[in-house]
Amino acid sequence: MDLSLSEEQQLLKQGVEDFVAREAPLEAVIELTDSELGYSPEHYARVAELGWLGAAIPEQYGGAGLGLTDAAVLFEAFGYAALPGPFISSGVVSALIVEEAGSEEQRAELLPRIASGQAIAVLALTERGYGWGPEGVHMRAASSNGDYVLDGDKLFVHDAIGATHFITAVRTGDDGALTLLVVDASAPGVSVRRLQGFTGSECVVRFEGVRVPASAALGDGGAVEHPLDRALTKAAPVLSAYQVGGGQAAFELAVDYSRERRQFGQPIGRFQHVQNHIIQLVNHVDASRWTTYEALWRHDSGKPGIEVASHLAKAVTSEGFVHAVNYSHEVHAGVGVMHEYGLTLYTTLSRSLYHQLGSPRYHRRRLADLLVDYDLGPDPLD
Amino acid sequence: MDFEPAYTPEQRAFRAEVRAWLDDHVPHVEGDQDSDENYAKYRQLGRDLGERGWLRPTAPVEYGGGGLSVDHAIVLAEEMDRHDLTSPPYYDSGGSLGGASILVWGSEEQKRRLLPPIFRGETVTWQLLTGPEAGSDLASTETDAMRDGDEYVINGTKVFIGGSHGADSFWTICRTDREGARHQNVSWFMIPSDLPGITVERMYLLSDGREGIGRGYKNTIYFDNARVPAENLVGGENNGWKVASTHLELEHGSGGRIARNVWFERTRDRLRSLPANGAHPLEDAETRGLLADLFMETEVQRLFELRNFWMNRTHQDMSYEGPQASYYRKMSGLRASQIMLELLGPYAQLNDAEFDPTGGRFDSYLRNAIVSLHPGGTADIQKVIMARRIGIGRGERERAGRTVE
Repeated sequence: MDLSLSEEQQLLKQGVEDFVAREAPLEAVIELTDSELGYSPEHYARVAELGWLGAAIPEQYGGAGLGLTDAAVLFEAFGYAALPGPFISSGVVSALIVEEAGSEEQRAELLPRIASGQAIAVLALTERGYGWGPEGVHMRAASSNGDYVLDGDKLFVHDAIGATHFITAVRTGDDGALTLLVVDASAPGVSVRRLQGFTGSECVVRFEGVRVPASAALGDGGAVEHPLDRALTKAAPVLSAYQVGGGQAAFELAVDYSRERRQFGQPIGRFQHVQNHIIQLVNHVDASRWTTYEALWRHDSGKPGIEVASHLAKAVTSEGFVHAVNYSHEVHAGVGVMHEYGLTLYTTLSRSLYHQLGSPRYHRRRLADLLVDYDLGPDPLD
Repeated sequence: MDFEPAYTPEQRAFRAEVRAWLDDHVPHVEGDQDSDENYAKYRQLGRDLGERGWLRPTAPVEYGGGGLSVDHAIVLAEEMDRHDLTSPPYYDSGGSLGGASILVWGSEEQKRRLLPPIFRGETVTWQLLTGPEAGSDLASTETDAMRDGDEYVINGTKVFIGGSHGADSFWTICRTDREGARHQNVSWFMIPSDLPGITVERMYLLSDGREGIGRGYKNTIYFDNARVPAENLVGGENNGWKVASTHLELEHGSGGRIARNVWFERTRDRLRSLPANGAHPLEDAETRGLLADLFMETEVQRLFELRNFWMNRTHQDMSYEGPQASYYRKMSGLRASQIMLELLGPYAQLNDAEFDPTGGRFDSYLRNAIVSLHPGGTADIQKVIMARRIGIGRGERERAGRTVE
């Protein structure tokens, strides 16, 4: 047993933390988040150049070939800085989908471009009915002269602005088979609009008579439900790590503020109600951290229980991040809701990521169904 | 990262030895686990373990311990766990926490005299901390120990003490200077329980005596001019708050543990065995959801304990992790007990030979979820300690107490 980061992971963590401290201080991130694109293409290119974007992509496809835990260490530091950009959406979620569901040819074609940042691919799965399972996919792609023609809306698509490709989940053929079509974002009939509201990078992606060749379908014609599910099961705890980083930042902001802010002649952190907020906060962050890294360890070391651990982690972490931010707000009072202070970056993220790759309710249900017959494994002592 | 304990070939061999030995020596008990007859069997097991150095495996041999490595201790703890036993297999809080404190703070002479009976399982020791006037505020104890020649004269009352089968010694914090400054006026004593002037009176609690928390009842201990030899004062006069930091650090859960998530499995098993109206309960989505809630509670708790175990055994600087695990265990236990109440219905409350085949396992959990909110520092106290360690509202972060020599 060793719950510490390896030497390489510590170096990576340090490198990433230095990078975000230098390139993305809170004021800069606030500005970026307010910009039209919502992130910095320079950051994106730099992160790709450093080999971080393709951290979890196998070396043979132009990635760094690291483990999911390594990627998580990296993206946790991004979460800590609230660094915006399609890093996880493209570099992790889409890359894993291509890896799991794509043909060898598609992997060789797409993954190196994702790793280098040339291509930014994002998953367009959810629709008006909203749901992360295959049952949520109703949009049809009709066959026409060997092509597919897409018509319909994909809603709540994260990081769609600036994307070059959409991995679009549709129904095809007479049997309505789930199909993943790689659609060029510049194809005629594709339009993207950022959703307005208390949202992060969520968009609506509209397909109006968009024509793609049959070869745009990921895979060799087999069913893609399982590969897609495997990919999302792997990606979920990496996204959770980003949430853990955000929660950690909300925690540190609260502790610092509890020391600086004085009322009634003493630092507010001397009041037990304030202390309680921070204690609940750190408990949520730590619960998130350890469920997340346990899931990642199971993935990387091929242990059983990967699905259970991933659903557990995403459920605990999505909820934990929201609670963490809420408690931080209780500590900060008015200051915390000021745009320029920075806490609200995490607040918005906590709401937005709550849903990305499935809400706690979705993961709790998946977890519940698995637990009926879940074998906790052989006695670890045997 | 590696979340699984990896065992060396030496540990595997040791495990085989321990397992075979325990299979031969763990007593078969029937009926009330806490009966005098059964208690005597567990005491004997303790002595047998002590003789082999397996009762306190890492304690030094010269003081009656096993002188074994942490690796061995892990194996022993896990193998006892397989039998649903802790080590020692009976209530010996003063031995566990007092023994560890004496190792840090006792004189050489005291270690040689006081520790062997504890480490060999020859005696049982209770810790006496709480008084009617001093619960969470331990430093305000009004049990006095006043020097008189070669003795200290003890007067006062301690409550919520021990279990149902008596003890040989009391590990106790007393006030040794009525006028002294707070935290500089207390001292620790190892007090033989048979001194004249000591009276033990039962106090019955909500707990039921299983699962290691309060065996049946606790006690009130009255000291009325009990005279303790001065050589039994440990850690120096009026130096007791430093000794307490060791004792309390251990009591606040910094040790952690490796354990299976047994309560999830037990609850699911019990749920399966319940009589159903038509469809099986597990076919109901809401029931499965509650089971998932129980899993989430128990897994987070398990991971906190695992983290602390790892930190403790690798001698890392701990901060708020001990009280965090303690706080979480208390609160999460209470939440889990309510989930059980919902999942199992009124069967969760039973300790009834006709309708409850578990021997009152869930009745016990439900009770102890409440009773265990307070020992070792209340949930609120755990939060106070966490706040100091995190440094909430203060620049300086309080350090954890010293738990090793």
